[in-house]
Amino acid sequence: MNVFKRKAVLRTEPAKRKKKDPGRKVFVFLCVLPAILFLAVFLYYPIEETFRLSTMKTTGLSNEVFVGTDNYEKLFRDEEFLAGLRHVFSWAFWSIIIQLPLSFFIAFSLTYYSNKLTKPLQAIFYLPNVLPSAITAMLGKFVFAPNYGLIVSLGKALGWKWLASIDFLGNPDLAFWSVFAVATWAYSGFYVIYLMSRIEQIPKDLREAAELDGASMWCYARKIVLPELNYPLRILAILCTVGSLKLFDLPNMMTMGGPGNATVTLGITLYRHGFINWNYGKAAAIGVVIFVLSLVFTILQFSLGRKEDETI
Amino acid sequence: MKKSRIFALCFLVVCLFSTAAVFADEVKLTIWGRDIPDDSADHAYVRALINGFQAKNPDIKVDYIALGDPGLADKTKITMASGSGLPEIFQTWGGSVMGGYADAGMLLDLTNELKGIPGSDAARQAMTWKGKIYGVAPFFAVAGIFVNEGIFKANNLKVPTTIEEFDKVCDTLKAKGIQPFACGEKDKWPALALYMYLTNRYGGEASAKAAARQIPYDSDAFVKAAQLYQSWIKKGYFGSTPLGEGYGDAQQLMATGKAAMHITGSWMCAQYANSEFTDQTIGFYAFPAFKSGGVGSVTDIMGQTDIGFAATKVAASKKDAVVKFLKYAMSAEACEAEPGRICSVPGVKAKSKLTAQAAAVFGTAKTVTFWWDQDLPPSVTSPLNDMLQTFFLQGTDVKKSLSSFEALCVENIGPVKK
Amino acid sequence: MKIRKINPAGQREPPAERPIKRRATKIHYGMSEIVITIVLVILALVIIIPLVVPLLFSFKTQLEFAYHPWALPKAIRWTNFIEAWKAVRIDQGLLNTLVVCFGSIICTIPPAILAGYVFARYKSRVTEILFYAILIGYFVPVQMVLVPLYRMEVSLKMNDTLYGLFLPMAAFGIPFWTLIFRSFFKSIPREMAESASIDGAGHWRTFFSIMLPLARPATVLAIIQVFMGAWNDYLLSLILLSDQNKFTMQLRVASFLNSYGTDRMPRYAAAVIISALPTLILYLIGHRWIIKGMLSGAIKE
Repeated sequence: MNVFKRKAVLRTEPAKRKKKDPGRKVFVFLCVLPAILFLAVFLYYPIEETFRLSTMKTTGLSNEVFVGTDNYEKLFRDEEFLAGLRHVFSWAFWSIIIQLPLSFFIAFSLTYYSNKLTKPLQAIFYLPNVLPSAITAMLGKFVFAPNYGLIVSLGKALGWKWLASIDFLGNPDLAFWSVFAVATWAYSGFYVIYLMSRIEQIPKDLREAAELDGASMWCYARKIVLPELNYPLRILAILCTVGSLKLFDLPNMMTMGGPGNATVTLGITLYRHGFINWNYGKAAAIGVVIFVLSLVFTILQFSLGRKEDETI
Repeated sequence: MKKSRIFALCFLVVCLFSTAAVFADEVKLTIWGRDIPDDSADHAYVRALINGFQAKNPDIKVDYIALGDPGLADKTKITMASGSGLPEIFQTWGGSVMGGYADAGMLLDLTNELKGIPGSDAARQAMTWKGKIYGVAPFFAVAGIFVNEGIFKANNLKVPTTIEEFDKVCDTLKAKGIQPFACGEKDKWPALALYMYLTNRYGGEASAKAAARQIPYDSDAFVKAAQLYQSWIKKGYFGSTPLGEGYGDAQQLMATGKAAMHITGSWMCAQYANSEFTDQTIGFYAFPAFKSGGVGSVTDIMGQTDIGFAATKVAASKKDAVVKFLKYAMSAEACEAEPGRICSVPGVKAKSKLTAQAAAVFGTAKTVTFWWDQDLPPSVTSPLNDMLQTFFLQGTDVKKSLSSFEALCVENIGPVKK
Repeated sequence: MKIRKINPAGQREPPAERPIKRRATKIHYGMSEIVITIVLVILALVIIIPLVVPLLFSFKTQLEFAYHPWALPKAIRWTNFIEAWKAVRIDQGLLNTLVVCFGSIICTIPPAILAGYVFARYKSRVTEILFYAILIGYFVPVQMVLVPLYRMEVSLKMNDTLYGLFLPMAAFGIPFWTLIFRSFFKSIPREMAESASIDGAGHWRTFFSIMLPLARPATVLAIIQVFMGAWNDYLLSLILLSDQNKFTMQLRVASFLNSYGTDRMPRYAAAVIISALPTLILYLIGHRWIIKGMLSGAIKE
């Protein structure tokens, strides 16, 4: 009991605002300036250009013809784009439902039970994160390929026919999950390390006090760690959502969005329209859709549960 | 003392300037290609071309940059769209993509310089856009059937000479546990070779007419070809996991004798004749026609540029060097190094039996149809390949797929003219 | 003037805490600890096994691989490695790669720390707007901005230079890391900064002597991630660099890999290993320091 009370006190202590402080504005200005400068030079013009081109009909090479909202109207009649939109949302949903809890479990267990076996594991979980996505995709193909893939070969070796005959990448119902599994393998490392570093930030005496009170591991995780990680987890949820909206590398290299439209993402449709179909205006329109959706979801996720956030 | 020092300094400066002048005299050619010029059999031509040209022309500095498969296309596209940072020469497959660059005014018209170079008509035509020649295509690939001779012999099978015979052959192979066709449809484009042939055999010039908007893509020949294709898929002629296999996987199936036939381009000759790549004996045959009821004949061949080079507008000031390079690319000397591709240059002999077979098929050609995904405008080529992949999905109505592809063509190319 | 760990009062940590800490970590092995350790080991195996795959392939001949992909190689052959090594030309690419990596670290992290700090601590309408103005940089898909970015670099005469590569890389990285640093600074109790300002420290002193050292875990994480990102970058380097002398290692590796594709797996695998080896070695050497750095954020109370 003692623990929770103390935390509450810590949280609600009034945050006194500074009275007039001329240095404050200068400080804020100088701190934000470098970042803004970088973006202003390198990204604002391309972003503006994307918005402008999304109202044009052009191959990227030919003259630009103004078409108004035509590109957008066409998008929402485009099977592939709509499939991409659906997949992006389910991808974001499942990353939040699967990758984040898994990462939290790993991160929490690694910090809670820090013994001889788990210590070296810390480095391993982060390992896939250092590989370029081309190699990740290649490894993924080798695990899930038919005929000679790791899982299929295992099935053959064990004599399990059902396992040996699964077509992980060619079956439209499974392809999404195969790519998702590879992504979980590849990306979770970052979430784990990030969460671990945030768990380590939690004052140690909170745990000691919890243990003295006889709280179990689950109780400690639920009542103390999880609330403390509310904000970091929300950040990761944003990363998952925006990452899904921009997702390109893994599905493109593993399945090219196929079979059919089973693993198409917005990133893939954008690339295809821009670079292969030479429909640059439509690609720009997809870019705008990705951009706007990212913004909307980020604002949404920030404003959800804002109250706790603000007291910090 | 001081004077001599100044002299020495002057001397040094002069020396530096003169060396700079020597370097300035040297023409530099930047060439973007796909493959690295290393010891691999299918990179032999590029290696011979770059090294041979450099050795023969010490006054021209060749800067060959290998960019790999999507890399070459992406980088070319972006630099063309920006109109700056272009290389003098880039590797291309000709057709509509090169045409798009030509329309944008990014390429150098070399019609006068290149029209006299001896070479096959099909190859020249592929590098021609709206009557102007922009480059050379030393190699040309035709589509046909790669056949595992050993498997066919062991099972007393003959290579089909009519399309009707495929069913019997495939059923026999399937019964023996051998996959009749390797395809690799995960990569989407591999299915096109067979579909082009089936459409031609049903409808003759159907694809050319459809591209010229005389008939729609959901007309009879296309639908029938798709239905036959789909029925073969349903019978399991492409194995149980065609959609999970990539093109590379299909090659492995052929190389290890797990599949008996592979309908694809003759660019695979180098690999399939290479004892390090496969221990099977593989032959190359033309795709047959229908015994009855078809229009197209065996001599209608599908083909495309295998390696081609085109010059960009920045080459205008170095025209001589560029033409020299393109001519060398079309020389017997450079082409002799290639073990597996069909050379467009007269007098260059095929290096392997397999390549000779492919060259012979090319020799019988009465008409050559360019690979559709090279010939159609880029706006519909990837949807075309996407559509082909849907044939492999269960429950696809091919007529519907073709109709929606036709709708896309109406939007991007234009409606069918009555 | 480097203060590592600070308690809310702004004083150095009293040494008396040590024995308590040691007692706390030494818990007896319970049932749940054993179960969870086993689960973690299994998960770690799932991570490791696919990584060993290329090693298995790289020594085989093409045919050996085609017939028995998962068997042990019959003999150790180095040909694939030698060919891959020649093509990758590590001697030329490595220096460029390092320049890009360090350039991108230097340009990404300081602006992100500063901005993240301000957005966490100086909340007002203006900073809120500025925060989103920076964050939108994170929402743009890279493929979309390639053409305008390339055009701009050409007009600035920055294309085909190494700084022309790492500066936009930094612009792409800053929004993400601003978000991460903001979240880090938010979790530092406000009392710390306040007690410092009561002591008379200005904005700059508070930031440099109190906040910055506390951000070390995030900074280490950022350094590693930005380094790896720059090391592994393919698309931006492909578009922005044309001169072979400026090629990064990853570009060389990619052109090698793309020339072969997965149909020539043994050679492909050898190239993969060669390209991944430097990062793996760096990681193995540095992982203790990295992990320690990332986890050293405990704020004592």
